Amino acid sequence: MNRLVWLIALLIAAPAQAQFKLPDLNINKLIDTAKGVVKATREIDENEEIAIGSDVAARLLGAAPLMNDLRVQRYVNNVGRWLATQSERPDLPWHFGVMDAPQLNAFAVPGGTIFITRGLLEKMHSEAELAGVLSHEIVHVVRKHHLKAIQKGALAHLSAGAAGAALSNVNSEARNKLVAFGTEMYSRGLDKGDEFEADRLGVVIAARGGYDTYGLPAVLQSLQGMNAKDSAVALMFKTHPAPGERLDTLAAKMQPVLDSYSSQPQLRERFAMETKAAR
Amino acid sequence: MRLLILALLFPLLGHAEPATVIRATELKSAPATDASTVAQLAENAAVEALERQGGWTRVKAAEGEGWVKLLALRYGGPGSAKKGDTGIAQIFNVARTGSSGTQVTTGVRGLDEEKLANAQPNPAELEKLNHFAVQPAAAAGFAAKGKLSAHEVEYPK
Repeated sequence: MNRLVWLIALLIAAPAQAQFKLPDLNINKLIDTAKGVVKATREIDENEEIAIGSDVAARLLGAAPLMNDLRVQRYVNNVGRWLATQSERPDLPWHFGVMDAPQLNAFAVPGGTIFITRGLLEKMHSEAELAGVLSHEIVHVVRKHHLKAIQKGALAHLSAGAAGAALSNVNSEARNKLVAFGTEMYSRGLDKGDEFEADRLGVVIAARGGYDTYGLPAVLQSLQGMNAKDSAVALMFKTHPAPGERLDTLAAKMQPVLDSYSSQPQLRERFAMETKAAR
Repeated sequence: MRLLILALLFPLLGHAEPATVIRATELKSAPATDASTVAQLAENAAVEALERQGGWTRVKAAEGEGWVKLLALRYGGPGSAKKGDTGIAQIFNVARTGSSGTQVTTGVRGLDEEKLANAQPNPAELEKLNHFAVQPAAAAGFAAKGKLSAHEVEYPK
């Protein structure tokens, strides 16, 4: 932060210097750049977050469309919205979607959009397992994991002025780049620490929603039994810590919460009935 | 071939799945810590995982049947066949899309890195997504139908 303050100070001080030593320097551009830096490093407000998220969601849907089944989509929205209501950001415009793809994956998009693939849904056995995965993704949104990564990327990959424009100007070329970068981030993955945090706090969200807390560990266990080289899980395994490591971490840190709420409903029958179209 | 397919489908049907216990573990007669102990399982003992209940998994071990802690189990025990790219996902894909074997080997339809890198916005699908959304009151009614009740749980320190 200090370095940034210096940079801004330097840029603002530039005009005085320019008069004598740098006559061909574009002073207005320098000042704009300084403003851009300030804009790109400040906290992104909620409306901007929602707008960026909506652009990224549209791109992700360009990669894989939604399953064409109202029943399963409404079902996942019901489970998701109920869980989101238990989070620290209940009033976001939460949207949940089942993508029609055989690969196993789930994505959290800034502003409250969450996708899960048909492939992952068909690997599950109960609503508690679905709730475990959705809770993990809800934590990514609540803690703004992707938003912060996108912002960091914007500063690293765009000029300061362009980064500022990308965040506030919806129709700029810089915005396009930012959204493309934000979409590709789902190929690179977050920091491991963000994933472990989403696992830990996700278990708490599921517990708050009244679900059997072992839903997420059960899904991780199913994944752990799969071959990492299977193309159905290749991308997810590349972007997340190994499922066995995630299980070990949950066992080490979350045993008390897991065990206190493990007798809450699993809802196996409702899950089987409502997700028939996906299997 | 049919046998191979059956073998690959087996774990998906919710039947026994090969697993190992990652530490010395008590095999319990019921899914509870205070249930009687059927046997002591050694670290790395091979078992067949059968069903889950809360934090417990029912297993078949050489010493008998019983329950062990879910978190003490890892799937894909020693000697268990790993499911590679000719496995479950592909077979299901064939069944679902009805595409021929040759088409499947050229790539699975769906979501991969390349798709993400080249994705163009799809506003029509975004519109559908908005249409599927559920309001909090409706979600609360849905939860009540499933006998889910909300309560306060603190995040761990």
